[in-house]
Amino acid sequence: MKNLAISLLFIASSFILKAQDITADEIVKNYIENTGGKKAWSKVNGLKMTAAINVQGMEIPLVIYMLKDGRTATIVTYQGITFSQDVYDGEVLWGMNPMAMKAEKAESEKLENYKRGIGEFPNDIFNYKNLGYTLEFVGEETKEGVECYKLKLTKKDQLVDGKETENVIYYFIDKENFVPIVVEQPIVSGELAGQTSVTVMSDYQEADGLYFAFSINQMVEGMGGSEIVISSVEINPDVDDSIFAFPGE
Amino acid sequence: MKVLNAIFFVALSFVSFSQNIEKLNGDALFGDIQARHIGPALMSGRVSDIEGSLADSKTIYIGTAGGGVWKSTDGGVKFNSIFDKYCQSIGCVAIDPSNEKIVWVGTGEVWTRNSTSVGDGIYKSTDGGRSFKKMGLPNSDRISSIQINPNNSDEVFVGVQGALWGANEERGVYKTIDGGLTWEKIFYIDENTGCSELVMDKENPSILYASFWEHRRTAWSFSSGGENCALYKSVDGGKSWNKIHNGFPQGTLGRIAVTIAPSNHSILYSVVESEDKAKSGMYRSDDAGKSWQHLNADFGLVVRPFYFSRIVVHPTNPDIVVKAGLFGSISRDGGKTFKGLGQMHPDIHDIWFDVNQPDKIFVATDGGLYRSLNMGGTMQMIENLPISQFYHISVDNQKPYNIYGGLQDNGSWIGPSSSPGGIEARDWQTIGYGDGFRVYPHPTEPQITYSEMQGANAIWRYDSRIMQQKVVKPLQVEGDDKLRFNWNAPITTSLNAPDRLYVGSQYVHVSNDRGDNWKRISPDLTTNNPDKLNQEESGGLSKDNSGAENHCTIFTIAESGLDENVIWAGTDDGNVQITQDGGKNWTNVTENIKGLPANTWCYHIEASSFDKGIAYAVFDGHTSNDKNTYCYKTTDFSQTWTSIVTDEIYGFARSFQEDFENPNLLFLGTEFGLYVTLNGGKNWVKFENNMPSVAIHYLDMQKETNDLVMGTHGRGVIIMDDVSPLRQISEEIMTEKVHFMKVKSFEMSEQSSFGGTSTPTQFVGANPSTAAKIVYLLPKRHTFGKMKMWVEATNGEFVAKLTPGKKKGINIVHWNFRSSVPKVATGKTFTAGGFTAPRVAAGEYTVKILKGKDTFETQIQVEYPKNSVFSLEERELQFKTSKKMYNMVEELAYMVYQIDLFISHAQKSAEENPKLKKGTDKLIAELTALKEDLVVTRGDNYVGAVEPELREKMAEAYAAVTGYFGAPSQTQLDNIELIENEMIESRKTFTSVMNGSMRKYIQALKKNEMALPVVKSYEEYVKK
Repeated sequence: MKNLAISLLFIASSFILKAQDITADEIVKNYIENTGGKKAWSKVNGLKMTAAINVQGMEIPLVIYMLKDGRTATIVTYQGITFSQDVYDGEVLWGMNPMAMKAEKAESEKLENYKRGIGEFPNDIFNYKNLGYTLEFVGEETKEGVECYKLKLTKKDQLVDGKETENVIYYFIDKENFVPIVVEQPIVSGELAGQTSVTVMSDYQEADGLYFAFSINQMVEGMGGSEIVISSVEINPDVDDSIFAFPGE
Repeated sequence: MKVLNAIFFVALSFVSFSQNIEKLNGDALFGDIQARHIGPALMSGRVSDIEGSLADSKTIYIGTAGGGVWKSTDGGVKFNSIFDKYCQSIGCVAIDPSNEKIVWVGTGEVWTRNSTSVGDGIYKSTDGGRSFKKMGLPNSDRISSIQINPNNSDEVFVGVQGALWGANEERGVYKTIDGGLTWEKIFYIDENTGCSELVMDKENPSILYASFWEHRRTAWSFSSGGENCALYKSVDGGKSWNKIHNGFPQGTLGRIAVTIAPSNHSILYSVVESEDKAKSGMYRSDDAGKSWQHLNADFGLVVRPFYFSRIVVHPTNPDIVVKAGLFGSISRDGGKTFKGLGQMHPDIHDIWFDVNQPDKIFVATDGGLYRSLNMGGTMQMIENLPISQFYHISVDNQKPYNIYGGLQDNGSWIGPSSSPGGIEARDWQTIGYGDGFRVYPHPTEPQITYSEMQGANAIWRYDSRIMQQKVVKPLQVEGDDKLRFNWNAPITTSLNAPDRLYVGSQYVHVSNDRGDNWKRISPDLTTNNPDKLNQEESGGLSKDNSGAENHCTIFTIAESGLDENVIWAGTDDGNVQITQDGGKNWTNVTENIKGLPANTWCYHIEASSFDKGIAYAVFDGHTSNDKNTYCYKTTDFSQTWTSIVTDEIYGFARSFQEDFENPNLLFLGTEFGLYVTLNGGKNWVKFENNMPSVAIHYLDMQKETNDLVMGTHGRGVIIMDDVSPLRQISEEIMTEKVHFMKVKSFEMSEQSSFGGTSTPTQFVGANPSTAAKIVYLLPKRHTFGKMKMWVEATNGEFVAKLTPGKKKGINIVHWNFRSSVPKVATGKTFTAGGFTAPRVAAGEYTVKILKGKDTFETQIQVEYPKNSVFSLEERELQFKTSKKMYNMVEELAYMVYQIDLFISHAQKSAEENPKLKKGTDKLIAELTALKEDLVVTRGDNYVGAVEPELREKMAEAYAAVTGYFGAPSQTQLDNIELIENEMIESRKTFTSVMNGSMRKYIQALKKNEMALPVVKSYEEYVKK
């Protein structure tokens, strides 16, 4: 047992040493490898995540569908009422207006920006090269108390109030475990413009051989957040196409 | 792959995570402890520079005197701080005209008043200010100008004004040709003369104009002007320079401002400080500096050149010129005559014209940033810049406690540490004119406050009950020399005698009747050096005797809280004196402080609350051009002093706070942020959680809340809420998987949620959380596997889910004392009453964390407010009623769940077997009719809402009772009885349907061997 422990320690140490002069590409490769491997991920064409958000004593269940072809839907159920948010059916991006309880199309700029991100599956750094994005290793920073690699992902420009605007996301990859634990994105429009959106990820767990963050806490930097707790991840689920279809206004 | 992963994670678990406090950095230690900014922004603070985009006038940057760099992307409506990690004193900001993502920041304010801070180099952003990198010139002290070749982003010229408080060689004009990687000093005069302005002709970037200024401050004087002051021009990209003084006054010159008219590059304007007063003021050249014509020497153009040497010309009209100044001046005739800018805070430092709509200007003042849409005719203040510059703060013992403090050029103020809806401009109360400094509440009667203005020209005692103020300053009497008060004269109250007040001149004065009568209890405690007492001569070419250079004065007084006879005093000329007999005898102990340079300003003395022989002293040498950190401790009444400074601290210090409970927990406020030690000064850690690297001029601690309150000179008041977790950190607890910190019992706030009147463009200070705080320390971040957190009652009953923190270091999880919302019946719309979760009763609760396979727990105590107006009997009735309604809401939900299930089942059965249709139609009709009485089945959540049904009425009654903390009223109880009766009737109807049509339906299903409806049990249905 002692020898095994020493061997394992050696493996871990050599891995950490290697990490010191690592490139952005190697970091992403490690991330993919440590969460299931490129081959396994390449077989994923869709995900269904069952989750809940806990807000001030209210637990709001939701189901998130993400398909490789860009279709997506978040279906929320509360007080027995089901309503869809951020749904893309391949053509229309839509959601239910919670006041009028009817489906409404997203504005054209939001739709255009969404379309530009199609292909970011299962997320935007897995296949950043194919998407024409650039990824830079910009240094090391401490996040959540642990040392991280900071990666800057520059995606296709996004439209902000009619103007082409740089679209940048920062990934913070835990140096020990090679998984993202924080993602930061500058907020470029609206009341919060100039501030930073922060997503904190933890509770990585396995689902069909792949590792996913089962806890996703989203916030504006310096403010409290809402945690999405995922209870199950289904890979390549059977999905009824009708959940994506825009029902008409 | 699974195997590989398993090995990888097992291997990691063998890596030692043992660590000690010394090795932890701030991010790993402080975790969820965050700085809370409360402003204020209503009086804002000094803005030193404005830079707007040429391409997109919605993008505007401002540099501030002590509050860093702020950026607006909406044309100057709202600003965000973008430079928190770095030096907050800003000389200039520059946008690269050929690539506006490149932004340069030169640190070190160039408006060299006595209280100005220092810079530490030049910074560059390549992503529009999202991140910055230091690019050198670390000893530049003050950078006045950054000029970027519009055709080559890598070629940048920098004007370095240099050190204010001493000689240094890092001055002059610097140039980089590689984007800041290397710098060459291309023009240098001498170690006392710096480049106070550098301007590039953007049409021909080889043409540069540079003004050089010889100047020096000491703690007791200021000098502007000298033989080396001059304006130069280069036409070869800085290789050679020539004086361009044709038409300038003869004799000694001082500070010179220069600018180019953007619409005609042959037209230059300059403002010259001159020995010849008649020839000071505004000059114009129409031949690119070959000759100058004197135009105007009005007061607004010649006033305080060290503070106001900035000229800005209209982007398209070369004859419209604006000059910074006491009030700001604008000319429309090419500089011949001027009028004042519109009404705003005085002391104008910079102006920016929006090139795309030049009537729109922004103006930088001592009281923040102003905007005008009619070129300065009327001015509108930007209300979201909390860059106020406190010289000092104190706190009282009220609930919530208040913060008292004085501001640079913005008077004295009282503001609350929390306020309904957030801490707004309206929450701050003014209690002093002029520059404000030390403000104290009377220790036991907080309606009485003491405040002062500069040089103790007035010390006021203000009684807010009768709204009266009285000047109560000590006065010279027989036997005294003329009293010398510092610009920031010490006032302090006593922990031993509430009516006692101390004031320091060169003497210590004490009053035991709230300032009405004074007694001098010391001799002159300063060096009384006559060479440092010539303030009338201060200023150099332009006399400047404002009192800011008053010297050889007492600056800090500390009476021991453990013995009123033990008093320490520290002076601005470096003396530390102590009396142990209430002032009868004083001992100068300065020589006992080894390693401290002579005459180093004693900025603060802190008398320990643990032992009357213990004190801490902080010294600030920056006015002698010494930026080292000095903080000493004595344990023997000053016989010996030991430095508690380590190399981990960056920047000179001004303020200090000892914790009240843990003598090893100490806080040091430096020019570049807050440092904390957990081991009495052996190691220090910088606190950076939402905490900028701002100068902290004073620290105080509120004893009830354990809040560390910081008076910053550039970012207002910043609070570190409840430092008590830091008291408990030890190496031992770092080895536990989860260590819960001890917390005191929590009082449940019963304050209304009303409040908040600010508009979205006004700054609102954050309130502290009123929730229970569960504090625990993780030695390692939780990244893999499940982690859950919840609250249980003492009987093990589930109460509420919480969101656990998973950081390495301190995690703080808030619980709002609420359990879960009831499950409500499904209708067509939401029912607002269903969003209310009941608040728990006072008592003990267990908080549990499931981390992997291990469960950890701690107990917390929850209390009702001590000053509550509600009796326990009233609360009992409220609980009972709320619980009854909660159960009724869930019972109704269960009934509707069954109805929906049965209707759905019956519809499907009828489709499968049409023979059942007759029975199912009847069943469905009966259930539908019942449901329509139970919940709304039409309408929407806004103006399409329909008349409420039982669910809506029930949930509303539930929420009203649950949202209040006292007993329900009789009217509410009567209303509930009505709802309850309706529920009884509904129950009867439901039972009747179940015993009638439903029973027949079940029989039919059985007879046809069809699947029966599967109904969850009630317990299963309502489970949270």
